[in-house]
Amino acid sequence: MKLFAGSRTISGRLTRMNLLVSGTVLLLAALAFFSYDLISFRESLVSSLASAAQIIGENSVSALTFDDPISAEATLEGLRRSPDVVSAELVTEDGQVFAEYHAPGEEYVASGRRLRDDEMEHDWITGRRLLLGRRVMFQGKSVGVVYITATLSEIGQRARHYLLITVVILLFCMVAALLISSASQRLVAQPIVLLAATARSVSREKDYSVRAGPPGGSAEMADLTGAFNDMLQQIELQDGALSRARDELEVRVHERTAELQAANRELEAFSYTVAHDLRGPLDSIGGIAFILAHAEQGSQEERRELLDRLQVSTHNMAALIDDLLNFSRASTVALKKDEVDLSVMAREIAEELRSPEPERDVEFQIAELPPVQADAGLMRIVMDNLLRNAWKYTSHHKKACIEIGAKLQNGRMVYFVRDDGAGFDPQLADQVFQPFHRLHSKSEFAGTGVGLATVQRILERHGGAIWAEGQMEKGATFYFTM
Amino acid sequence: MGAVGAMQRLRRATVSSREGTTGTPPKSQRTWTSLSLFLLLALLSVGAVRDADPAATEPSQSDVEAVYLFDFGKFVRWPDNAASGPMEICVAGPQTFAAGVQSLVANERVNGRALAVRRVQRIEDEAGCSILFIDSSEKDRAAALLAAVADKPTLTVSDLPDFLDHGGMIQFLLISKRVRFAVNLQPVIKSNLSLSSELLKVAVSVKGQPEGGVQ
Repeated sequence: MKLFAGSRTISGRLTRMNLLVSGTVLLLAALAFFSYDLISFRESLVSSLASAAQIIGENSVSALTFDDPISAEATLEGLRRSPDVVSAELVTEDGQVFAEYHAPGEEYVASGRRLRDDEMEHDWITGRRLLLGRRVMFQGKSVGVVYITATLSEIGQRARHYLLITVVILLFCMVAALLISSASQRLVAQPIVLLAATARSVSREKDYSVRAGPPGGSAEMADLTGAFNDMLQQIELQDGALSRARDELEVRVHERTAELQAANRELEAFSYTVAHDLRGPLDSIGGIAFILAHAEQGSQEERRELLDRLQVSTHNMAALIDDLLNFSRASTVALKKDEVDLSVMAREIAEELRSPEPERDVEFQIAELPPVQADAGLMRIVMDNLLRNAWKYTSHHKKACIEIGAKLQNGRMVYFVRDDGAGFDPQLADQVFQPFHRLHSKSEFAGTGVGLATVQRILERHGGAIWAEGQMEKGATFYFTM
Repeated sequence: MGAVGAMQRLRRATVSSREGTTGTPPKSQRTWTSLSLFLLLALLSVGAVRDADPAATEPSQSDVEAVYLFDFGKFVRWPDNAASGPMEICVAGPQTFAAGVQSLVANERVNGRALAVRRVQRIEDEAGCSILFIDSSEKDRAAALLAAVADKPTLTVSDLPDFLDHGGMIQFLLISKRVRFAVNLQPVIKSNLSLSSELLKVAVSVKGQPEGGVQ
């Protein structure tokens, strides 16, 4: 057994198990057989001794009756044919030894035991001896007792035989277990070894499309291989998903980079435009200042006109800078949400517009709007821009109408500012909200081109959106949501 | 058990000769010591008062012969016409001996037969005897008695010397102070009796065996 004690391979363990099981079974079986044999041997010995005792008894009746120990001893001599019998004695009714016998080479040993008066036959085992006593009956009466002592050395002999046979069979079992284990190597260990090889190759080559071959072994091996293949499939799927995600990420990075580059270009364009637009009034201011400095003899009227133009230019520049500041603030200032009533705000702005130009005939239709949760300051900028736009683009018409309202559309509130002014080319509707994009010439309608861009940014920051509809000379409508 | 025990002891015992003719005195002195010691032990171990009769304490040759007489009945087969009814043991001898036998067999049965003991005072009294014992004191009548029972199923036993030579069947002998017996088969066969081989086995001598051995 020690041979396989350190074995770590399955086949080795199987061998050890086989050997252990067969050895245990064999030992138990040998023990059972030996016990059975022991019992039956004892029984047969007892019965053969009993029949010998009976024959001796029957042949000793006259010797006992007529006090003839010599005849009795002659009868006892017949036991010489039984090799197991060591000694025997014939005892009279009053317990005296009448005749005795001992096998050649054996010393006579007194039995030392006596039958009880009511016993016909009894046997005792003392050490390695079996003693049997049997009453001699004659004419219905007991005339004496025969005691025969037999050696049990044959039991020891049998035990040695059993031991020898067991050892031989155990050796045979060892050989058989080795043979069986080499067979089980093919049946059990081989599929496992193959599976292990597959697992190693997968982990080495990172090739998850490999599958373990159909197992030739047990149902458990089939389960194991199936589970292994399932695992490989899952790894393969996840590996594919991972590489797809990586590819997508790369595409997305490319897109983002492109977008960033576009935004950068836009920013450059924006800066350029800002610089250009600021440059315009600055050039104008510089030119007027130069004229004023060198035209000393100019009339008072001319000077007044130049100063007015100077004032307009600085005003334009200040307005542009204000708009840019608003635009910037719209992006960066922290939102402070309150309940804001857009109707009230619209009416205030209408009043502000109307007061410098009381001669214009513009009708404001301001509906009662539901209050919104928004930053009041920013919403003021939104409404101001939208109403000022409407006011500005209706200035060419003698009579105009500006409508401010709201309607429920697809489950959300859509606010709108509508005018019947200059309108715009519907194909250019998208460009309305780009900074510095102007759909009308500066001479036609004054403005910086930043207002609607600011409005869009504020509404987006509130999670809303803005879009425009319009036709040339048929007015424009600006819709927005919060 | 008591009676059996007594008989057993009688069987085992060496005996004193009635005539005192055999044996050597110095030896007998030692034997007597051991005998009395044995008897004392036997009495102590059994503890039965009724065993303490004179025959038991001092077994004589005739005591042992009385027991054997009874025992012979166990080893003899009588012809069928003489095997029914009580087995009669006839004693041609002193009344004391007959009484001794009577006391031994009182409640015994042999092969299912009851036992009866009677004295033979006249020759004719032998009729119906299963066993006939002729004491040595009846030496003069012995021949006549034997002649009377010849051809009858009667086992003849005696302690007379030369009994077998005169046509007797079993003769007691005293050998080394033990009661033994010799057998003459010729009259046994003539009388249609048969003796067990067990009995012949322990006989000192067997004569008159037919050709082809004993049946």
